[in-house]
Amino acid sequence: MNRDSLKLAAVLSLILVGLVLGGCGEKRAPYVGRYKSVEPFGGESHINLDLQENGKATWTLGGKSLEFTWVVNDGKVWIYTKTGAIIIVTPSEGGKVLSADMTGDWHPGCPPGSCVVFRRVPQGG
Amino acid sequence: MKASDKPSGAQGEAGLNLSHLGQAMRVPAGTRIVSQGEAPEYFYVIQSGRVRVFRETEDRIRTDLTELGGGSYFGEVALVTGQPRTASVEAAEDSLLIKVSKDEFDRLLDQNPQLARHIIHQLAGWLVAGDRRLETQVVHQVKLRQISWFDYVLMLGLSLVLALVFNLYNDNRLPLVHGIGEAEGVKEISLSQAKELYDKKEAVFVDARKSAFFDQRRIKGAQNLPVILFDIMYPMFQFTLQQSEEAKDKTVVVYGGAFSRRLDLDLAHLLINRGVKNVAVLNDYRGWEKVFPLVEQTPKEPASLPLGLPGYLEWVPVGIFLLILIPPIRRSPYLSVFCRLLLGAIFISFALSKILRPAVFALNVVDYNMMPAWGVNLWALALPWAELVVGLFLILGIRTRAAATIIGAMNVMFIAGLVNAIFQHMPINCGCVGEVGEPVNWWKVLKNTGMLVMCIQIFFYDRLMVLDRGGFILRERKI
Repeated sequence: MNRDSLKLAAVLSLILVGLVLGGCGEKRAPYVGRYKSVEPFGGESHINLDLQENGKATWTLGGKSLEFTWVVNDGKVWIYTKTGAIIIVTPSEGGKVLSADMTGDWHPGCPPGSCVVFRRVPQGG
Repeated sequence: MKASDKPSGAQGEAGLNLSHLGQAMRVPAGTRIVSQGEAPEYFYVIQSGRVRVFRETEDRIRTDLTELGGGSYFGEVALVTGQPRTASVEAAEDSLLIKVSKDEFDRLLDQNPQLARHIIHQLAGWLVAGDRRLETQVVHQVKLRQISWFDYVLMLGLSLVLALVFNLYNDNRLPLVHGIGEAEGVKEISLSQAKELYDKKEAVFVDARKSAFFDQRRIKGAQNLPVILFDIMYPMFQFTLQQSEEAKDKTVVVYGGAFSRRLDLDLAHLLINRGVKNVAVLNDYRGWEKVFPLVEQTPKEPASLPLGLPGYLEWVPVGIFLLILIPPIRRSPYLSVFCRLLLGAIFISFALSKILRPAVFALNVVDYNMMPAWGVNLWALALPWAELVVGLFLILGIRTRAAATIIGAMNVMFIAGLVNAIFQHMPINCGCVGEVGEPVNWWKVLKNTGMLVMCIQIFFYDRLMVLDRGGFILRERKI
């Protein structure tokens, strides 16, 4: 392999690494924690949402738990369901409050009537 | 100059009378005797020892041509042609040479027709070899422009294999064919029966589609339970049914199936599994819009979220429409290289998120409603890998014409899907660059058309920085 090929390979490697790194999400740390819905959901009970550092999330309602994955993208929390749906969650108050758009239509806002608001549960509480 | 090229009778000791010619010279190993490019002055005959003949490029890349031993000679061609030395010669070991000047060499030729004949023979051989090399180069360039079925099999086959293998180990893996969607175990009713139940208010109608489709057009009085959010939304749906006295013990008619996925059947199965009784689907899943009273709304403006770098990159192909107006640029192989690198980067970035979460992309495919249900998951698995593999081929300069046709074909399909979605007023996101947030509009069509034009430009004019069958071509070859 001559020097030109090596230079080309180096440039391409940089491009690929840049693309791969560019595809990674932002840091999850500010939003890791346990949250509880402000209002009861479906007349049953409150929803408990546990966002873990490893990108796993647990959504618990009425004793039943659902497993999701989540990332942070452009300051919003994206929750991925196994079926392929994405729930966009908008943090506010420095991550203490999360507003989840339950339409699954990826609205950047949180439409009234389809919005579930969560509040962070204090550590140990 | 190659010893193997010489007839044995032409060798110094065998045929040349050198006793009264030239001067003897001892050459230690490693001494440069003749340098490539210099003006020729002497003809050399090797009495003993060995010399090495080689060529060297401006970049100091050396190619050893041959080694000559005792009895061989070199330097005759440059003296005959009067051209600069075509190769360099250095002593491979301590050698004894006879150095013959040009005048002496001319006399030698006059006295040795055998030597003259050999030199003519050697020059003729070189001409033939040169012609062959020229032909090889031409064939090389022609082959570079050729595409074969193998190129497509290579790229698409590789994509499919990678997709299937990766899917086996992906936490978010998809079944190759969507699993539910079978009518078995679900009661089907005709449109007329359903209409009768509707008129008598003896049924609850449930729409299985995404809420944007539901908001756009739905059966009057129907509820929405998007099947993709079933696990999350079912408690709310259940609560709503329990709160409604009218809904108790009624038939639950699920509708909202589409060509690309029977969402109605999927939802019906899920409801039955949760213990809901009297669940039915329409046997003509597409006919509800013609039979039932509808509620229709203007579609919402599609959501738009920032897409980052790929979103900006995607605007660059629009500039191709200006560049192709300038003929020298339109035909420039440098523009081809630019198009290849750009398209490669765009398609690789397109592919990454889809590869990691194929279920999200599968739902995008379902939204367009152009792919048969059996093919949705296969398409959602294979297409991102094809984008990645073909994008890499474009960047690396491998099989670029075939890669350009595949990317071009993808763009034709994307444009068809986008135009269909625009004319059908589908409330969907593109799902092209990122997973969400990209509206379907005419700008998107323009961007894809720009990419298609780039593919055509690559197809016709790409020939630089390509790794073809004969090696890497950095600069244009002059023949």
